[in-house]
Amino acid sequence: MVKRMVRDTSNKLLGIARDADPRWIAGLVCLLAALPIFIRNDYHLSVMILCLIDASLAVTWNLMVGYTGILSFGHQAFYGLGAYLSGLLAIKLNISPWLGLPLGGCFAALLSLGIGLPCLRLRIAPYVAIATLAFSEIMLVISRNWVSLTRGEMGLSGIPPLSDLSLFGSVKIPFSTGARIPYYYCILIIFLITMMSVYFILRSKMGLALKSVRENQDAAASLGVNVTQAKLTAFLVSSFFAGVVGSFYAHYVSVLAPGAVFGVGKMVEIVAITLVGGIGTFFGPVAGTFALVVGLEMLRGLEGYRLMVYGAALVAITLLMPNGLLTGLKTVYHRYVRTSKQSLSRT
Amino acid sequence: MDYFPILMEQVINGLVLGSMYALVASGLTLIWGTMKMLNFAHGELYMLGGFGLYFGLVQFHLPIWLVVPVVLFLIFVLAFFIEKGLLSPLVGKPGWEVNAVVITLGLGIFAQNLAFILWGGDFLNVPYVAEGAIHFSVIHLAWHRVYILALAVVVLIIFWQIMKRTRFGLAMRATAFDHETATLMGIPHRRVYSVTFGLSASLAALAGMALAPIFSVNPWMGMGPLVKGFIVVILGGLGSFLGAILGGFIVGISESLSVLFFPSGWKDLASFILLIIILVVKPSGLLGRKEW
Amino acid sequence: MLEVDNLVVFYGDAQALWGIDIMVNEGEICALVGSNGGGKTTFLKAVCGLLPIRQGSIRLAGKELTHAGAEERISLGLSMVPEGRKIFYNMTVEENLLTGAFVKRSWHRKQELMDRYFRLFPQLEKTRKQMGGTLSGGEQQMLAIARALMSQPKVLLLDEPSLGLAPKMVDLVMEMVTSIKQAGVTVLLVEQNLSKALQVANRGYVIESGRIVLHDSAAHLLENPKIKEAYFGL
Repeated sequence: MVKRMVRDTSNKLLGIARDADPRWIAGLVCLLAALPIFIRNDYHLSVMILCLIDASLAVTWNLMVGYTGILSFGHQAFYGLGAYLSGLLAIKLNISPWLGLPLGGCFAALLSLGIGLPCLRLRIAPYVAIATLAFSEIMLVISRNWVSLTRGEMGLSGIPPLSDLSLFGSVKIPFSTGARIPYYYCILIIFLITMMSVYFILRSKMGLALKSVRENQDAAASLGVNVTQAKLTAFLVSSFFAGVVGSFYAHYVSVLAPGAVFGVGKMVEIVAITLVGGIGTFFGPVAGTFALVVGLEMLRGLEGYRLMVYGAALVAITLLMPNGLLTGLKTVYHRYVRTSKQSLSRT
Repeated sequence: MDYFPILMEQVINGLVLGSMYALVASGLTLIWGTMKMLNFAHGELYMLGGFGLYFGLVQFHLPIWLVVPVVLFLIFVLAFFIEKGLLSPLVGKPGWEVNAVVITLGLGIFAQNLAFILWGGDFLNVPYVAEGAIHFSVIHLAWHRVYILALAVVVLIIFWQIMKRTRFGLAMRATAFDHETATLMGIPHRRVYSVTFGLSASLAALAGMALAPIFSVNPWMGMGPLVKGFIVVILGGLGSFLGAILGGFIVGISESLSVLFFPSGWKDLASFILLIIILVVKPSGLLGRKEW
Repeated sequence: MLEVDNLVVFYGDAQALWGIDIMVNEGEICALVGSNGGGKTTFLKAVCGLLPIRQGSIRLAGKELTHAGAEERISLGLSMVPEGRKIFYNMTVEENLLTGAFVKRSWHRKQELMDRYFRLFPQLEKTRKQMGGTLSGGEQQMLAIARALMSQPKVLLLDEPSLGLAPKMVDLVMEMVTSIKQAGVTVLLVEQNLSKALQVANRGYVIESGRIVLHDSAAHLLENPKIKEAYFGL
């Protein structure tokens, strides 16, 4: 009985989450944009900033795993690569952090080919999972041991914050003071761009290609889909935005430690968020982020138990809703197609 | 010629390390073979083995010949019921490949952090079971390492024979190949899953106990072996028991030899490089069937 | 010996079997025939416990099987030679036979049973150390039947043994089925090859679209004009 209730509720939520309706996106953005009016507390704002970072990572991970079916456990590598590149460029070459953002993204995208290309011909999910995890672990090992470059476990400190912006000549937006609000809007814009990019990709022919690859690679190929191109697109786009977010993170916290960005903890966070929210759905990652990250914050005293909660959440979600959120990409897709048609006839 | 003793020592260290990787990986590959899943909690079973040894020896001052079987048994039982309770509702159903990974990942992270909360994050020392070393010509080898290599070899041979000759081994191989037809033979395939999972956990715990004195125990000690274990499994071929053993030794020796040429912090790269090579050249692994 | 009453089976939301009644008497060969998709394999799988039953009951030698798990049914004396043989490729011929002897009562006598079947099927003995996947279709069929007999069943279910075999092999297989009956094992033979099946059987059932449409003695069925028309195009 409880199972059915849970399943019905999740189906209803899925219905909302599934349809990437632009009105919902606009609504969400307005809500988020107005947030600092209500939240003045610096600590809460920083929670929201981290929340949006995670949401962006989850959205991009979802593109790769939920929509294309590439079970990647190395997403955090792109995050970390962007972070370290931007941080190092700023420290060693005095390159503006604002330039570092897209550069970090490009660097991550470029290196994603290093794991994307070998993964092209792997079909079984476990293989891809292990290969991508190994890729991320390699980055961890390198960042820990190339001390002359990254200062290893001692941490890369002294990363300059985003430089102050002057808009329209007179308005000055201070980032260097460490005030949270400018950073909040910056990550909000990055999040928005990420979401919109994913939205447009999913709506396009490429989006269909991605989903067909998720369903059945061979069938897709026989129908003329360029599977290689689809997979590479997923890798490049996801890693680019993960890299940008990573760069932002570097300039936001000013110190980078290998474990914080390349570690399994980050990976589990991204996985848990996306799965709890609903993999393969558009708003799932966002919902999951708010559910888990904000939820955890609200349950004070559980801070130390954060990872335990993520772990338990993964187990609970998989067991209670295997036919809802985690059916494995196939059944989510079938439901997507069927109910999209239904929702069209509703309007 | 001065290099020879150092080289030999590293090769033997590599064999010792490799035998541990073989233990960890063989458990993983058995689970993959029968249940078609990757156990991402495997590292934590290894970790629990290490902690079990710590508590048995250091806290309760029990003799080692008692602690080892008891810990192995307890972990077998734990894993048996985890499979029965958490995994078997989902085995074989759609999405199983992904679900299995997610659930075990969740369990692993949960266990890691529970261990951290209960026992703290410090590295805890576990005493060696035997002091001293064996010397032949110019080579030193700690007795402990000799023992664990011997132990690993014996255990792996026993396992191999169990699979080849016993009624259960037959049941396991049949279930791995085609569980529906195995059912037609009267083989209780769900029990086979639970027992296989339990046995695999025991293998991991044994490796954890063997390496505990060398590396010390802490809640995150299982993560390295987990990743290495997966790499070895792919190297040897998913599902191939002998492949896991072969792969384990290859990785172990490569790692140990790499320390001679590169700073030791980089030794993990050896296994990653082997992974990339095998993925490019023969993804199904050295001894694996073509199902990648 | 084997009584199936009002068996109803669903595949998800789609009904596959609509109240099947079949009785197989002790010591006879009973044929279940019909064209493809009629429900023959579904029926066998449900009897074995590989598919869940929505309604109905199954009794073996008077014992209620309906709620027993598949493995239990095997240990109670049921055995099936599955469609497509389903030989374990990762094992030798010997080992395949041994899996058939998994049930406790056979495991104690596995050597004796194995020797018996190697004597009965000398062709199989020649290949005893070969891997299962290297055998020809006919050899695999022999192996599958021998394997199913290793559990010393009371009732043997055969799912389309003639599928994919050359005519001479089909005759050989049918001979084997007859000798199995003579050894005292009750047989339920599911076949697409109507004529061959009805030639060795005592009685027959015809199944179409999940329902039994005819049942009679095998001889009568062979002469039945409806059958002749539908299946032999006469």
